[in-house]
Amino acid sequence: MKDAPAAKQGVQPRHRVYRAPTFMPLWALIGGAAVIALIGTYPYYGSNAYVLSLLGKFLCFAIFALSIDLIWGFTGILSLGQAVYFGIGAYFVALSLKINYAMTHPTRYGGNFPDFMEWNGLTELPGFMTPLISTPFAVLCALVVPTLLALLFGVITFKRHIYGVYCAVITLAESLILQDFIIEYQAYTGGFNGITDYSNYATPAFLWVILAVVVVFFVAARALTHSRVGTVLKSIRDNDVRAEFMGYNVANYRIFVFCASAFMAAAAGALYAAWVGIVSFLDAGPVFSIEGVIWTAVGGRGTIIGPFIGAFLVKGAEFFLSGVLASWWQIIVGGLFIFVVLVMRDGIVGSIGNWLRKRRKGATLHQIIEESDQKAHDRQLDWQPGGPPPMDEPVR
Amino acid sequence: MLQSIITQFLSGFSVVAILVIAALGLAIIFGVAGVINMAHGELIMVGAYTAAVVGKLGGNTFLAIPVAFIVVGLLGLIIERGVIQWIYDRPLETLLATWGVGIILQVVIKLIFGPELYYVGAPKILEGGFRVIGRLPFPWYRLFLIVMALLLLLLVFYVIFKTDFGLKVRAVRRNRAISGCLGIDTARIDMTIFAFGSGLAGIAGAVLAPIKSVSTAMGFPYAVDSYMVLVLGGVGSLWGVLTGGALIGEAETILSFIFNNVIGRLLVFLFIVIIIRIVPRGIFGYSERR
Repeated sequence: MKDAPAAKQGVQPRHRVYRAPTFMPLWALIGGAAVIALIGTYPYYGSNAYVLSLLGKFLCFAIFALSIDLIWGFTGILSLGQAVYFGIGAYFVALSLKINYAMTHPTRYGGNFPDFMEWNGLTELPGFMTPLISTPFAVLCALVVPTLLALLFGVITFKRHIYGVYCAVITLAESLILQDFIIEYQAYTGGFNGITDYSNYATPAFLWVILAVVVVFFVAARALTHSRVGTVLKSIRDNDVRAEFMGYNVANYRIFVFCASAFMAAAAGALYAAWVGIVSFLDAGPVFSIEGVIWTAVGGRGTIIGPFIGAFLVKGAEFFLSGVLASWWQIIVGGLFIFVVLVMRDGIVGSIGNWLRKRRKGATLHQIIEESDQKAHDRQLDWQPGGPPPMDEPVR
Repeated sequence: MLQSIITQFLSGFSVVAILVIAALGLAIIFGVAGVINMAHGELIMVGAYTAAVVGKLGGNTFLAIPVAFIVVGLLGLIIERGVIQWIYDRPLETLLATWGVGIILQVVIKLIFGPELYYVGAPKILEGGFRVIGRLPFPWYRLFLIVMALLLLLLVFYVIFKTDFGLKVRAVRRNRAISGCLGIDTARIDMTIFAFGSGLAGIAGAVLAPIKSVSTAMGFPYAVDSYMVLVLGGVGSLWGVLTGGALIGEAETILSFIFNNVIGRLLVFLFIVIIIRIVPRGIFGYSERR
């Protein structure tokens, strides 16, 4: 500040200079490494198998919440059907593992194919499922099919400016239909019981695999949201019409981020199926989707770390409190939705960020945005014919 | 085959009626107040439980309808004053908040009434049925549903287009700021409209109770169906509710008959997606001027 020429002339600089935050501050790097080490080494210092299984589960949920955060927190698309992609990913992997398990463990009547198919009157593995014997192929399907589905959905809706409420309702119906589909075609999907009893990978080594995927997605999401593309995405969230007028192809940005998020959710589902060893129609249903939205909202949408904190806190509280509180826990969850919307709009991480910002600069993010919007508005009002509007403010 | 399709077409009318009855309240709340009310299904559910209580006390559906209207309308008033009045300017977040309200309603009802299913009988004079075509009788209660849907549509048409209140509602819908400048208390209109829409959901619950076992989870599918009706027909248009309900109801009945329930629903869903791909604001939705 001392060296700035404006300050030398005794004129205060009129506007805050916008500095992009560093990609990953040192404290975040150290803290993140500590958390990863703490989770990853749990099998070596902890003995509670239940807690271990929860850790892997929560990490998958965290990836799922991060995928919702990408489209909702950063781009403003509220999808209530994100579990569709999670569920499809999970079902591909679970089916493949189940088929492989059945090859070595014959059913009661001697069939070498999954037992739920036998119960439903099939006599052999249906032909279209034989490729799933190869697990790598199934994993590939688990990742590619949801992404393509998201691409199809995006091309159909976003290209025609269908978003907001419409998008939320359509995705909700999509996920409800998938759920019905799974229940109805139980010979192929396990129906109401889901797919159970296969050899899952609940080993410490696989926990590290999940952690690695978490880190990759975390860094990728951070890189995406801190790139130029990320800036465009945020501008679409804040004012899509203005972004369109500035020449950005809003639909394509939306489609891109929707596909990326579907890929992420699918990966989370695939890991989840491999870790937990049970997949049911609930994992593809609307309730799970909205749960993911609430984790994101509680943690702080529009932040990368928020979904992780939200998923761990809400899901952790559910696992440890729902037994004690019984149905009162559901009331707490319901209240949480209302609380997050009415009181804590920015979630835990966002609220802490606002508090820090307030102490440092005296304004929350919302206030800064509103203030600058007001300035832009005032400038338009001041505009006189015969001259261009004064542009003295750097465009954020 | 043709005869069965015609039978299905006729029984489809009652599905249409159910859809219209369920979607009317939502159409008003969503179309006028702009609130994405995810608790709509739960309001229907509360209406159905009201009918169950009225039935226990010796009343029948005809008595349950006004009672459910008042009970659920008051409930809607409480929800509006307690939660929604603060978030009218953030429509997507009304979705989350009302979802929370829905969860709370479900749990509270479950705590009061227990997890078991309730069965509500149809009124005595509506029992049985008559034969139109084929061997299966067409139940009187289904006919009553169709009449009820038409009556409710007429009621809403009357309120919106013929009363002073409806004039104000339409003014607020068109231009909230100017309506406020002209002295209309827009917050009060929002409040009343939300309560009125909730009351209609209550009626829907009371009317639907006899054809469905009453449980705490009964509402959600109705809510999703209602949203599909609105998305297809166009938000904020009563003709849209009728058209959307008719298309979805008939298509679903006939396709479900030809294939099965799930394929039918899937095809209807694809049909809706294709339609709104062509007309993004729904069939009767008008594009708003910004």
